[in-house]
Amino acid sequence: MMTNNKNIQIQKIFSQSEVYLLLIIIIYSVFVAFLNPSFLSLGNLFNLSKSSASMGILAIGVFVVLLSGGIDISFTAIAISGEYIAVNVLLASGVDNIFFAFLISCLVGVSLGAINGLLVSYFKIPTLIATLGTLNIFHGLLLTVVGTKAINSAQLPDCFKAFGATNVFTLTGSDGVRYGLSVFTVMFIVIALLTWLILKYTMLGRGIYAIGGDVEAAERAGLNVSRIKFFVYCYAGILAGIAGIIHVSLIRYSNPTYLVGTELSVIAPVVLGGTRITGGVGTVIGTILGVAMITLLNNSLILIGLSSFWQEFFTGLIVAISVSLSSYQSRKSMGI
Amino acid sequence: MAEELLKIQNVSKSYAGVRALDNVNMSIGKGEVHCLVGENGSGKSTLIKIIAGVVKPDEGEIIINGKTFRNLRPIDSINEGIQVIYQDLSLFPNLSVAENISLNQLIVEKRRLINWKEIKDIAKKELSNINREINLSERVENLSIANKQLVAICRALIQNAKLIIMDEPTTAITKREIDYLLSVILDLKKRGISTLFVSHKLSEVLQIAERVTVLRDGKKIGDYSADELDYDTLSFYMSGKEVVSSPFSYEEKHGRKPMLEVKNLSKKGDFKDISFKLKPGEIIGVIGPLGSGRTELALSLFGLNKPDSGEIYINGQLVRMDSPQKAISLGLSYLPEDRLHQGLFLRQSVQNNLVVTILKKLLNKFKLLDHNKKYKYAKEWVNRLSINVPSLEAAAQALSGGNQQRLVIAKWLATDPKIFILDSPTVGIDIASKNNIHNIIKQLAREGMGIIMISDEAPEIFRNCNRIMVMIDGSIVRELNTVDITEDELFDMLSSN
Repeated sequence: MMTNNKNIQIQKIFSQSEVYLLLIIIIYSVFVAFLNPSFLSLGNLFNLSKSSASMGILAIGVFVVLLSGGIDISFTAIAISGEYIAVNVLLASGVDNIFFAFLISCLVGVSLGAINGLLVSYFKIPTLIATLGTLNIFHGLLLTVVGTKAINSAQLPDCFKAFGATNVFTLTGSDGVRYGLSVFTVMFIVIALLTWLILKYTMLGRGIYAIGGDVEAAERAGLNVSRIKFFVYCYAGILAGIAGIIHVSLIRYSNPTYLVGTELSVIAPVVLGGTRITGGVGTVIGTILGVAMITLLNNSLILIGLSSFWQEFFTGLIVAISVSLSSYQSRKSMGI
Repeated sequence: MAEELLKIQNVSKSYAGVRALDNVNMSIGKGEVHCLVGENGSGKSTLIKIIAGVVKPDEGEIIINGKTFRNLRPIDSINEGIQVIYQDLSLFPNLSVAENISLNQLIVEKRRLINWKEIKDIAKKELSNINREINLSERVENLSIANKQLVAICRALIQNAKLIIMDEPTTAITKREIDYLLSVILDLKKRGISTLFVSHKLSEVLQIAERVTVLRDGKKIGDYSADELDYDTLSFYMSGKEVVSSPFSYEEKHGRKPMLEVKNLSKKGDFKDISFKLKPGEIIGVIGPLGSGRTELALSLFGLNKPDSGEIYINGQLVRMDSPQKAISLGLSYLPEDRLHQGLFLRQSVQNNLVVTILKKLLNKFKLLDHNKKYKYAKEWVNRLSINVPSLEAAAQALSGGNQQRLVIAKWLATDPKIFILDSPTVGIDIASKNNIHNIIKQLAREGMGIIMISDEAPEIFRNCNRIMVMIDGSIVRELNTVDITEDELFDMLSSN
């Protein structure tokens, strides 16, 4: 009986796609480290986690939307709007404060997210159509109303540059090079943790899972489906606002045409992390692993010496394979 | 009778001038297992919705636990212990068993935070109250339908259910699962909890109910004790028509050479060692519960489920049935069990549905579709099977169940099949339409078609087939001629299996 239980537990662990992903990440890391030992250095890992933080935060927003049974592809437009408006307001007002920048960007994010939320929950527009529309509306408005002028590093308010260079702690390597854990990474971790807490321990979070599983059952159970959906899109909007500021602080260059067009490369890691595209199933940890896998892949191709053009190819390949595998598995478990 | 739990007095309800319920009275005692039967459109669902407080009656009152409600709201109904389990069960497939059992109650209590230990404890307690065990952390989508029903029942019990209304609970479950469900309901009865079954499957109704209320066209026909009913009287009460079905007698006038012969056909996990012969003009009935392999066998004959071993002969020729196209070209047709999803394009017109199997015959000399020809063909078939349609352009989903089924049959007959496999041809159809479809099938056989009819209803098989094969767990356990037994003998034999 005991061994039987144990077997079931082991089976259960291996039925979770996160475990496979983790194994693949480990094996792949060892493989890359073998070819290029500098890959597994603490410095490189810190660096990777810093540069992937903004993608990770966007991915968490996408993850929550997918979980609720919807999809959001307007988040890149929201992120770039929040960032570009914040930079312009800071320049115009002369206030050079990163918290002020976050405030503005998040306000923009939550407002645009609320528009998505209204369209989806109260006007019942299919989410793909709604956010495909708002992606163009938001970005179009930004470019015509706020402007198209890129702001280069010299013009960018100092607070962004300072924020981008902030480390929580710094170490000095044996070769004298200093490296540290970026505040970006910490923000990503905090947001992931917060999202996990909301999803796991609040009725709101269980409601998000519930409507992703069966909307009608959720309504019959007495959940306020419209309000939950509205929250989901506002939340994704705020996260996009935060990711926008991190993005501009990382690259020290504010261009209103950036980010838009990269939607799929953010959705890919979420799907890779085991989130069901039809909603209701997925975990924060899976999303983090998905982001890690894609980051790893992109970084390692360069370390191995392949051109960065291969990135797109491999990202697509790995998503196609993983989705086929999980679809095959679920069909097998249904006996088809 | 035991103490009264629910009483419905003189309830009427009209929708846009159509009387859905007309002066209906009904009562359910504490701990009673009551059945509400009626054909589609008889007012069953309206009555349930009124009891649940979802629909307001135009007239009449509802008395629950001695309290009279003129304006029953859903929350009143729930507070008085009435729980409806809808046919789709309203479960969350992606969530765990524990959460599915407990969540609704926590929502009602307007909780904001989740305590996982509490969720598990509530679920565990409720399952042990009905002496059943399910893995609490399993996702509901991985459960059998019987266990899903159990989860839905537990969820209802948590909310202090005194009356559980189950809407068509036995439609998609196997015989064993039905027995399991019934045992659970008997346990509930011991605890004084009443059950109202809503069903149109007659044999099960008679098996479990203490009392049966029959509705027809919005009117109550009567309350009956289950002992005083049998299949024929109940179907008479439901339909208001004396259905005279003449048994099918096979005449060997189309030759004795088998048109289809199956030898030792096996498919792992589905069926094993199936052998039989079908002669022209025969109707062979395959009877067996859901999960007995009957549908899988039919799919294999039609090239949709490749068997592991065995042989299929058509008119004495060994054939490899590897695709439905092949099967059709060899003169086979297959009416699927699930006509809504596999048999019809619901949003397409009647006309388009009818000709989809014979598009090649309808091409003009430029290899384009000839719309006049198409219209003529469709019209001809609608008339031949007397399908009642508003127009040939109406969407298939606008038709009643009986007309939809005739439409699917017509679609396949248009291919001019020699062998017709019908899987549960009358599921969910009212009695008059059922009879009509049976007559069509028998007529086809008389004209020399070979027919295999699959069903889990003994009367349907007995009255329409000349030969019966009983299928259990993938094997044909009995094969007999209808003339050699009586309907009761067949029924006894099936229930002893």
